[in-house]
Amino acid sequence: MSLATLTRPWQAFSYGFLDASAKREMRRKMIKAVAVPGCQMPYASREVPIARGWGTGGLQATLTLVSPGAVVKVIDQGADDSVNAASNRRFLTRVSGARATLDTLEATLIQSRHRVPEERLRADQVLILQVPNPEPLRGVEPNMSRARQMHADADYGRLWLTLYEQIVRSGRVMQGASYPAMVNGRHVMTPSPIPRWDLPKLNMAEHLTILSAGREKRIFAVPPHTRVDPLVFDDVPYRVEDHAQLTCHRSGLTGFFMNEIPQDDGTARHEVSDSHLGVKAIDAAEIGETWYKGGEMQP
Amino acid sequence: MQTAPMPDADEPRDNATFAAVLNALARPGTVHEMPEPGLLPVALALVDRECRVFADEAALSGALARSGASVVPPDLADHLFLSLGTESAMAQLLRAPVGSQLYPDQGATVVAPARFGDGPAVRLAGPGIRDTATLSLGELHADVWRVRAGLCRYPLGIEMIFVDGTRLVALPRSTTVTEG
Repeated sequence: MSLATLTRPWQAFSYGFLDASAKREMRRKMIKAVAVPGCQMPYASREVPIARGWGTGGLQATLTLVSPGAVVKVIDQGADDSVNAASNRRFLTRVSGARATLDTLEATLIQSRHRVPEERLRADQVLILQVPNPEPLRGVEPNMSRARQMHADADYGRLWLTLYEQIVRSGRVMQGASYPAMVNGRHVMTPSPIPRWDLPKLNMAEHLTILSAGREKRIFAVPPHTRVDPLVFDDVPYRVEDHAQLTCHRSGLTGFFMNEIPQDDGTARHEVSDSHLGVKAIDAAEIGETWYKGGEMQP
Repeated sequence: MQTAPMPDADEPRDNATFAAVLNALARPGTVHEMPEPGLLPVALALVDRECRVFADEAALSGALARSGASVVPPDLADHLFLSLGTESAMAQLLRAPVGSQLYPDQGATVVAPARFGDGPAVRLAGPGIRDTATLSLGELHADVWRVRAGLCRYPLGIEMIFVDGTRLVALPRSTTVTEG
């Protein structure tokens, strides 16, 4: 070993922005996250050049996985063109040399804020979800140490109580996004604020999902072919949002998750939330296999 | 527009090795290719000065120490590099940390050489496996699956990564192994 072998040519920053040590720590934690599906693993959560809460967790996971051959798609609430998605995408391609795409079928790494694409993900794709609050128990137990003990004991009674109270008060489960789900029959996770519509897409999927919360410094994962069961009572079945009959006013698509656009006259119009799916329909381009067909989730 | 920073010599190897490890753990029993053969590339992708490691082979132990990791006895190590063919290796494997209910992530990662497609077939079930998968690994002690079952009391347990040349198979703690 000499000084020459230890010295590297000067660069403004490392490949993929994170340094080698940060990446190794992410790798070690991702291994444990995959090994214990749904269990929150603490990690260091390095600084990245965006503010915490804007996808730093997702970015760190993507930066660890990215290589020059990767194809990256970034989604913000279904859209590829929001400021957050566009900035993250530009940053990712700039520090990695990876190609960016808007097409779900082309992407190998899909970093997403709060949506799962409508087209089915394959085994060669990784979905990275940005997570604002990784702790499903936060609403019922603000103390993190006690919440950790409750996970250790598989003590989820208070979550069931929350759902029960919603039914008593409102006649139905009011939990919209972040619906708590039991993973591999052991750990309850919050699937990040994806709508109820998207949660069944994680159950027994072909793809690996990594959920990373940068501000909260927690990472967890749902491997392929893993059971993800939303917490439901036997006599109150799981219900997704009533979007099955809605039609997108721009693309004409029916039976997908929609954004509601309020109109001046008090009515509302709808447009498909997965923006590139809408673009494909408008361009009459080929749409891949979708999870939902005719508004019904397919097994 | 700036161009992307250049990866150094280690980066593509570590990145591709980790991709193989992650895919192998996400789909237990499936074989994945690494760019370089042996246990060392796996170690270099995962281990650095924040880690405590144990290796039963002196040469590998030396290489690991150069990564900055502390070389410690098996019961303190978070990464173990063992040849699982002998009685003494079984004793070392038994001492591997399995984490706790509070911190399952403190369970160890065990990396071991094996010969793929050789030895008795075992059936695998669990997350990452659609129905069941089979796996046969040679150069392992007959007791290895019994010892692993003793250590892997889900969510406690160890991750096992088996390496045959440039090929790699992994078993997370969530996988149930049935012999015979």
